[in-house]
Order: sequence, then C-alpha cells, then structure tokens
Amino acid sequence: MSGIVWIDAENMTVDNTVLHKLTELIHKSDAISGLSEGMRVALKVNTSEEGYEYGLRPSFIKVVAEIVNDVSVKRSVVCDGQKLVDYWKQLKGNTFLATASVKGYSSETLGGHFVINGGFSGDEGDLFPCGHANSEVGGVEVGTAVCRSDALWVLSHVTLHPLFGLSGALLNGGFECLSGRARTRLLRGANPYIFNGQCPREQDVHEFQHRALESHLGVSASVQGRVFYINYLWDITPQPEYYPYSAQPVSANLGFMASHDPVALDAATFSLLAEQSAKCDMVKNIDFDAVLKEAENLKIGHINQTVVRSS
Amino acid sequence: MVEHKYEPTKWNEMKAPVIGGRETYQAKSWNPPKEKWGTFTEEGPAKVWFAEANATNWTESMICKAKDLFYEAKLNECFDKGDEVAIKIHYGEYNRTAILRPEYIAAIVEEVKACGGHPYVVNDTTLSYHTHNNMAYSQYQMEGAIRHGYTDATFGCPVLIADGYSGEDDYRVEMPEGLILKETFIGRAVAEADAMIVLAHARGHSITMYGGILKQIGIGCQSKRGKYITHLAHWGDPHDAIGWPKFTDQCPGKACKFHQMCDDSCPRGAHHVTEHGKVWNPELCRLCYSCQVTCIFSGMTGVTFEENYFPNAMIAHADAALGALKCFERGKVGYINCAIDVVPECDCFPWAGLAVCPDVGLFASKDLIANEMATLDAIDNMPINPGSVADEKGLKPGDDKFREINGFSPRITMAAGEKIGLGTMEYELINYEPVLTPENAAKWQVRPNKPVTMRLRETFHRHDLATEVMPFNRSEYNKEWVWNEWKKYDPFKGETPE
Repeated sequence: MSGIVWIDAENMTVDNTVLHKLTELIHKSDAISGLSEGMRVALKVNTSEEGYEYGLRPSFIKVVAEIVNDVSVKRSVVCDGQKLVDYWKQLKGNTFLATASVKGYSSETLGGHFVINGGFSGDEGDLFPCGHANSEVGGVEVGTAVCRSDALWVLSHVTLHPLFGLSGALLNGGFECLSGRARTRLLRGANPYIFNGQCPREQDVHEFQHRALESHLGVSASVQGRVFYINYLWDITPQPEYYPYSAQPVSANLGFMASHDPVALDAATFSLLAEQSAKCDMVKNIDFDAVLKEAENLKIGHINQTVVRSS
Repeated sequence: MVEHKYEPTKWNEMKAPVIGGRETYQAKSWNPPKEKWGTFTEEGPAKVWFAEANATNWTESMICKAKDLFYEAKLNECFDKGDEVAIKIHYGEYNRTAILRPEYIAAIVEEVKACGGHPYVVNDTTLSYHTHNNMAYSQYQMEGAIRHGYTDATFGCPVLIADGYSGEDDYRVEMPEGLILKETFIGRAVAEADAMIVLAHARGHSITMYGGILKQIGIGCQSKRGKYITHLAHWGDPHDAIGWPKFTDQCPGKACKFHQMCDDSCPRGAHHVTEHGKVWNPELCRLCYSCQVTCIFSGMTGVTFEENYFPNAMIAHADAALGALKCFERGKVGYINCAIDVVPECDCFPWAGLAVCPDVGLFASKDLIANEMATLDAIDNMPINPGSVADEKGLKPGDDKFREINGFSPRITMAAGEKIGLGTMEYELINYEPVLTPENAAKWQVRPNKPVTMRLRETFHRHDLATEVMPFNRSEYNKEWVWNEWKKYDPFKGETPE
C-alpha cells in the first residue's frame, strides 16, 4: 500500500496560499530526501497548446523548482516534449517555445532552465528497455532532458484524456517523457483528437494504453527509478493541454496530491475526481480502473493507497 | 628556482582505428541537401554593402544602418512570407565581453518579422574546449546567453540551441565536393529552417585565425558531432598530431600547479598526470581541444597543436560550411559581418583582449566569401589600436593582421571556400551612407509614425508635471554667477579649446 499526501484547496488564508500548500505538500511527502547536492533534476511539466487556456500558472511550477534548486544546489531543468500532433501544424522547436512564451513559460518565470525534452526536433533521446521479457514495446527513446538527469519530478496538470482516460502521473511520467519519434511509434496512428469526427477504435485505445504504460517502465529506468510525482488537481478540464481549446473544468479545484507511486497517485486522483464529479458523464464514462489494474500488473506501482489529507 | 623533471608522455598505442556505430546512425533520417543548392555568385565580382562605424545623427546609428543594409543587400529576399528563418549568432562564452550587442540581433529580427518571416535565434553547443567552458553544455550556454542579454524578451523571438539539449539533435549531410570533409553534422534548428541570416561578430580566432560569417557556419552551425569531424578528430596517425593533441616533453607533471585542471579538462578521461609527465590514451581521445587549450590558457607548453594542424582545420571548416549551406536552397542565406570590437580571439574565449583596430563597420551581402574578403581587407587597412597585440607585434595598416597575430592568413579559408563553391573572392564594395531627411530620421525609431514628443504633448496636456512644482527652488539668478563664477571650477579657467 502506497502513501499519498493530499493538500486540498480549502482554508485559503494569507499564510496558507496555493504556494504555501505546494511547499507543504513537498515537505510532507518526504520528496526531497531523495535528492542530494549536485543532482541534476528534471521537472517534467505540461505546456499547453495555443488555444488551450487552462494551463497551470507558472508560479505553481516555480515554487517546486525553487525547492529542488535549493536542495540540489543546482538549477533544475523544466521540460516538456513537443506536441505530438500539433493541431496548428507548428511542429518545430521555435514554435513550441513561442507558444510556451505566450503562456508565460520561460526560464525566468519557471524557476528552472526551460527546455524542450528532445531538442529542437523533439527526437533527441536514448533507448531504454521497458522492463520485462514479454514487453510489446521492447524499449523506448526517452527525451534527453529527462534521461540525462539524475532524478525526475513529474508535475502533472490533471485533466481528462481522450485515449488514456486521465492525464496524470502515469501518462506524464511515461509516454509524455518520450522523444517525438517514440511517441509516434506508440500511438500507431491513433488520432488523439476526437472532436474532429475522428474516433479511434476501442481496441486501438486499449492497445495504446498498454504501450503507454510499458513506456513508463522505460522512463523510470532512464533515471534509475528516482522519480517523484505531483498531481495538480486544478482546472481539471475535459481536454488535455495538447488540445487547441478546452471546455470548462469538470470539477472544482481539489488541491494537490503527491507520491512516489504513480499508480497509487492516479488511483487516488481519479477516485477523488469521480466522487466530486459524480454527475459528469465525461468522467463517469471513463474506465480508468482497467488502466490502473494493467499498470499494477506491469509492476509500475500499487492501486491500494493511504491518503493523508490536510488543508 | 625549481628545476622540473620532464618525462616523455607515455602513450598507450592504438591497435587500430576506433570502429564506432555509424552503420546505424540516423540511417533513415538524414536531411538530403536541397536540390536547388548552389553558389550564389555565378560570375564576376559580388556586391558587398558597407556602412562605416561612425554616427553623427539619427540615421547613422549603427543599428539603423544594420537595418538599411539588410534591405540594400536584399537580404529580405532570402526568405518568403511564412518562412521559418534561423538567425545564426554566437552566444558568447561566460565572462566574455567582446560580443555583439543584443540590439544588432534585435534589429535584424525586427526586420525579418516585418517582412513576414518567422525568426528564431540559434547557436549550437560546442565541444569542451577547456576546463571552464560553458558553451559545451546547452543549459550553461543558455545561462551565459541570458547574462549577455540574449533572451526572447530582448530579441522578440525564441532563442534556442540548434543541436538540442545534449548536442545530438542533428542531421548528417554529405558533401562529396569537400576538400577534406566528405560529410558533416548540422544542428537541426539550422538544417530545418527555410532560410537563414548569419549575423557574425568579425574578429580573430586562434584556430581559424579569423572568425566571421564563414566561421559562424563552418563551426557555429555544426552540432557536437559536426565539430568533432570539422576539428579533424582522429584524422591521420596519432603520432602526426594533426587530428590529435600534440604532447610535448615539457609537461612538468604534478609540479605544474594546473595539473588537476589539466586532468579534469578531458571529458573522456583520456589522459592523466604522472609525477613528471602525462599518460595519454588515444583510443579514448576524440580531439575536443580541451587539454590543449587548458594547457595553453594556463601559460604551459605540455599539450599543444602540430603547426600544420591550423591550415588544414581552416580548410576543413570551409568544407563544413558547405555542409550547412547545402541545407538551404540557393539564395536562401544572407550574411552580415559586424566588424566592431575587432579583438584578436573568438567569442568562445572567456575574456576579451584589446581590439586590434578601431571599429570598422557593417558588411552585408548574399555572397559569403565576397563578404568575408571585403571585411578582411577593411580590417587589414585599418590603423593599429595602441596597446593591442597588433601594436605589440609592430603591425602597420595594410598588413594581414590575423596572419601576423594568429599565425596563418585567413585567406587560406577563403580560397578553399571559393574552390568548393561558397562564393567568390572578388567583390565590389558599395559604400552606404544614409541621407539625413525627416523620413529617414523617423524610419527606424521606436515609434516611427508618432514622435515621442507628440506622445508627451498628450501626456502634458492631461497632467503638466513640471508646472505643478514650479517655481523651482534655486539660488537667486545672478549674471555674475552665470558668466564667471563657474570658471572657478574649470581647470582651464573657462578658456575654450582651439
């Protein structure tokens, strides 16, 4: 059974702001005990597409980056991969950075060195095995900003996801850390936009989920298992950040959860979200339990968890 | 005085050339050269526009003249509306001061945007070069760039590393025409651009003798792998020391106060100090200059270069420039040399020597070699800066400055470049002098259509900030004070200069 720390969004005061809550979350999670002076730490974030306006505020990232910087005595690397299928057909590194800049994401605002995971092309990466003999994927190319680091913190903006069900620790700490070429290979032609009349077959979705979960093992191997996860349950929109728009959030802001176990973290996240959005069809229709069970079967983590809540 | 014992460097002899994994490297993804690639000048002298480094009014600002030259040399025709335009500059080593001021780069970015291009500023990572080099590591290079004022905010467009987070995001380009190199590796932010404007700081260079626009392409556009091949890594036998560091018998070993820096300088751990010398393993060495430059920068002589290395490296970097240019259609690359702060060494040095001559000015052209020749000739014809290395060597105007200062004539590179089709050494220099008119004075100002005085007129109409605090509190007006009293503070007692 894995431990989850949950700091909710209630009881906001002048000395209990969002930034205070995030600081407390990290300290209560014992996250920094895994870091030491001189470590290169990558913070994997989600940068949003042009038109998606619910992205995390830069200060939500910066407060974490500054804690990591203090402990590692090194400037952390804040990274995200290029949009896999860029809706606006702007697939190069310069347009990625220009879009991120419009959202306020830069080295100055994020508290760490902001780079594209995988370089200008998004394809710069190293191959890592996916952990078990029967792996369908075999190995995955993990982007250089992640795989050349000593530790990885996955800072996920929780949203719904048309293929994976939930965009959280499992997806952002796995599939989303891969080079562009590897992600294209894992998608196998499944269209990640379902609003334009395209809807992948259920079989294709399940197969993609399996491959994405296997890739999580490759990413974890690339940093020798030194991974910590924070889920931001904030502006939980029906569409993930790579969409060129979003409908309004499906739930009120629920705060922040953290753990070293991505399966437990996403299980707790989805469970809370389902409880809070009981009337939301979009959430009710997601079969995320199957994803979690498969993740547990792959030994990525444990579904059972103990949640310690505070405000 | 302590007498050091020197031992010959102990070599672990190589059994055979290193066999790498090139059979599988990017076999499916390398960028084919553009079909319409070709030298820009087909015959006759190429036009080079020049604006001198001096100013006496609005229109003669160097920034305004940079913008004027951009259009005079028709660099705006290097790209179409909607093109992704790489602006290639050098980001400058940490603690370096003689670099291009951000305004020059911003000026060109502004005009590329005004013409409908989508600019982004790029530079590749370097090899190690020396122990305290920050440009070899993308994160450190960007931190240095920000310190120099090279940011998205100052340029108004993305600023990025062309060869990725780790210097491996590149394409292999073949160039059978090369005199030495038959392939090279180009950072993908350069290789994937539709067009490129190369904006170079023209100054000396300790390997290529001079560094301008050709150096910005021949080295600056090469990824880490491209730099290894261009620096001639593993070319020839280690005993020839062309593609290898040259170990002399002058290494004092542990008696050298820099011996730990020397050991630390190798990113591959190919050498280590002994009691009275060094042990070197050429199988591990890839020629990154780090041991050589660290030794030379420290004022020591234990690791250095074979003399014939330099002219060969100069020709190789012309080849490498061809590799970068083959990623573009003919006429899609424009060149500006800024012969300002013409110091003896490269922007990758972590310091700056005194300029060897006064500022010269700006050169713009679509012909790479012609632009370089015009720049070199103008630098050579300039007076010598007092106190500079050119002055110490007793140089005179007209001397080949960088040959005398750094060892070989930069024209070796230009002749090689001409031979492989990079451009022509013949040029026609066109002096550009802006005409002072109200329109030209306004043209490149922050608000060309509305002078700041008109904006202030509106402001003062709403709030007359000076009148609000008048009359000002001063000593009583006194003609004796105004006409004579101030002279008591003047060492020349009020006499005007002749």
